[in-house]
Amino acid sequence: MTNENFKRELGSVFDEMAGSPSSALPDRVRSSLANVPEQRGPYWIAGVAATLIALVVIGVLFVGNPLNHQPNKIIPGAGSSPSPSAPASPNPSASATPGSGLPAFVCNSSTGLVTDTTTPPQPPVAFVDQVRTGANAGYDRLTIEFNNTQPSQVDVTPQSTAMFTKSPSGQSVTLAGNAGVLVTMKGADEHTAYSGSTDFKTGYAALVEAQQVQDYEGTVQWGLGLSASGCYRAFFLTSPYRLVIDIQSGS
Amino acid sequence: MFAAVMEQRPQLMVSATAGDAESFAALIEPLLNPAYRLAAVMLADRSLAEDAVQEASVKAWRKLRQLRGDLKSLRPWFLSIVANECRMAKRQRWWSVLKLADMPTSSPGPDRAGSSDLHEALLRLMPDERLPLVLHFYLDLPIDEVALALHVSPSAAKSRIYRAAKRLRSDLTQEEVF
Repeated sequence: MTNENFKRELGSVFDEMAGSPSSALPDRVRSSLANVPEQRGPYWIAGVAATLIALVVIGVLFVGNPLNHQPNKIIPGAGSSPSPSAPASPNPSASATPGSGLPAFVCNSSTGLVTDTTTPPQPPVAFVDQVRTGANAGYDRLTIEFNNTQPSQVDVTPQSTAMFTKSPSGQSVTLAGNAGVLVTMKGADEHTAYSGSTDFKTGYAALVEAQQVQDYEGTVQWGLGLSASGCYRAFFLTSPYRLVIDIQSGS
Repeated sequence: MFAAVMEQRPQLMVSATAGDAESFAALIEPLLNPAYRLAAVMLADRSLAEDAVQEASVKAWRKLRQLRGDLKSLRPWFLSIVANECRMAKRQRWWSVLKLADMPTSSPGPDRAGSSDLHEALLRLMPDERLPLVLHFYLDLPIDEVALALHVSPSAAKSRIYRAAKRLRSDLTQEEVF
C-alpha cells in the first residue's frame, strides 16, 4: 500500500466519522466570543492570588465552625412540589439527545435539580467570572462559569410567565418571551469576579433573554425569558467549572 | 479560504491581540472546519464536537497573548487547544458511559470491506492515538505543525504517527507511511 492509498483510505474513513459541521458553528463561536470579556492583563494573577488567600482564610474559619457545616454535594432544591405555573402533566416527559451523553431534557418538572454526589468538599462561595449564551441545533444554551468551584446548590424552576422579581429591590421585571425559567445558585457571587453583561437579549428561538435578577447574600439568580414553555436540562461541567442550562428549541 | 485569511492575518492578529473579538473570530474562522473534524474524530460525536470547538475558541481567545503574535503557530496552537478540550470532555463523568458501540458504523458492502476494517481499527485506537493520524493524514498538517500541536519534537511526532499507523495496518513500513 502506498502512502497515497493509505492517506486516501484514512481520509475517507475520517470523513465518514466526522461529517461536516453545522452551518451555525461560526455564528455560535462568534456569539461566544462576543460575550467573553476582554483578555485579562497580568494583574489578574494578583487578583487570583488574593482570592485564593481569602478563600483559604474563609475555608479555615468555615471548617472550624461546626454550625456552618454544609453537605458536600449539591443538594436538590427544596421546592419539589409542582409549581402552579408549570404545565401540569402526570408523566414527566424527557427526551435525551441520542448518543450525546448529556442529561435528558426535563419538560414539566417544577424544579430541575443539578446533583453531584462525587464533588469534594466545597468552599462556601463560587465566583462567577463568565456568562455567555449560544444557539445550537435543537437547543439554546446559557453557560455560567465559575473561577474557583461550583455553587453549593442550584435550583432550576420553570414558570409560565417571563416576569421575575428582582432581589433585594423587590421590583418586578418582565423579560422578552412568553414563559420563563428561574435559575437560583446558592453559595455564589457574581460581583467579585464578573464584570460582564447582566442582561442578554439573545433573540434565539427558545432562549430569548437572560437577565440577572439577584446577586445578594451569597445567592445569584438569573431569569430566563423563553419564547414558550418547553423542556430544559441543567448540568455541570468542569475545567473550568460551568453550570450549563439548555433550553430545547424546536429546530 | 485559509490562504486568503492568512494574507490578512497580520492585521487581524494585531487587532485581535489588542482585544478585538471580531478580529479573533475572523482569524480562526478558517480553522473551525478542521477543528470540528479533529474533535468529531476524537469524540466520535458530532454535537459534542461542535461544543468542544466552541469552548476551545473561547479558551483560545483568553490565551491569545500566549501566542505572542506568532502567526505560523496559530493553526497547530488552536488545534492543540481543541484536542485538549476534547480530552477534558472525555473525562467528564457523564461521558464515562459513552460507548464505542454507539458510534455510527455502516455495514460494509463487498467493495468497502477494506475501508470497514480500517474504520474498526480506528475505533479501537484511543482518542490520543487517533490525534496524530487526524492531524497529519486528514488535516494535512506538515510534521512540524503536528509536532507543535502535540507539544513534542518533530521526530517524536513522526514516531507517533508511524506507531498509530502501524496499529491500523501492521504490515506498513515507514516508507509507506511518509
